[in-house]
Amino acid sequence: MSVLTDLRIAAVGDIHLGEDDRGQFRKKIGGIEERADVLMLAGDLTRHGTLEEGRVVADELRGLPIPVVAVLGNHDYHSDLQYEIAGELRDAGVVVLDDDGAVIQCGDRKLGVVGGKGFGGGFAGKCASEFGEREIKNFVAHTRYIAESWKVALKEIVAEKRVVLSHYSPIKETLEGEPPEIYPFLGSYLLAEAVDTAGADLILHGHAHKGSEKGMTPGGIRVRNVALPVLGRAYAVYCLDCESGF
Amino acid sequence: MEAPQYVAARVQQALAEDGRTHELGIRVDIRGDQLFLRGQVSGAGQRERLAQVAHEAAPELHLHNEIRVVEASEPGEDERLD
Repeated sequence: MSVLTDLRIAAVGDIHLGEDDRGQFRKKIGGIEERADVLMLAGDLTRHGTLEEGRVVADELRGLPIPVVAVLGNHDYHSDLQYEIAGELRDAGVVVLDDDGAVIQCGDRKLGVVGGKGFGGGFAGKCASEFGEREIKNFVAHTRYIAESWKVALKEIVAEKRVVLSHYSPIKETLEGEPPEIYPFLGSYLLAEAVDTAGADLILHGHAHKGSEKGMTPGGIRVRNVALPVLGRAYAVYCLDCESGF
Repeated sequence: MEAPQYVAARVQQALAEDGRTHELGIRVDIRGDQLFLRGQVSGAGQRERLAQVAHEAAPELHLHNEIRVVEASEPGEDERLD
């Protein structure tokens, strides 16, 4: 007999830990295992993207009693040490997604997580196209490549529930509060289109500190902006219905 | 005299690009010789660093630091996505 139980996903983004923040984040997530089955971090884990900051983040997450899944954000790329930072996090036991997917075992349930940093370009009707100067074409092509990777990963993953974890936003609804002029630097509709095509149960992102928490894709997938300044709390917890025994 | 829009843009750019701050979401307004910084950051140290960098970028202006420090509270209520 199957029983419906909740899969509890704790999420926060844009924690921006600096070297002087050692010990602080761990304090904020103390007892998280009582409230959630998995923790997801939506990028911008560091402030300047240095290796020392990456090590602070890794130390804060090391040995947490629940699985941790993370993507990097634009700040984590700033010092061109994104691969090294990802390496530090992986050494600490964190699953770091880079436009791919992973299956996380949460008790007797399997949660599929797909994602990566994401990128910008803007939203349908008001976005850049792969046309003209090489720089513009590269900008849009980068997002298109990411979206395509997510679509493939979502189609391939076998799990009871599927969540997409991103730094940049797939929709403009969760950017409300930010100046519309900078929307193209906050996200792209190509990300939402890819996820709507392949299907998912929830999309989590950060990046837009002045945005709004809740929105949905044109295909009806719930989107949550979990940037710390938007949440105003240590993390949010989202509960998905699951049939145990999967 | 330099137009205030250009000074504000220069300050905003400094806040984003200076290695001490790297803060993208801070609003910079200039009215006469007054400079206002607004936005949210997660720590008091960052709030002070932003004021320092802004002051260095436009030392002739009187600076008002209206940036708020957001303290992340307890996680709060769960949301059920049925």
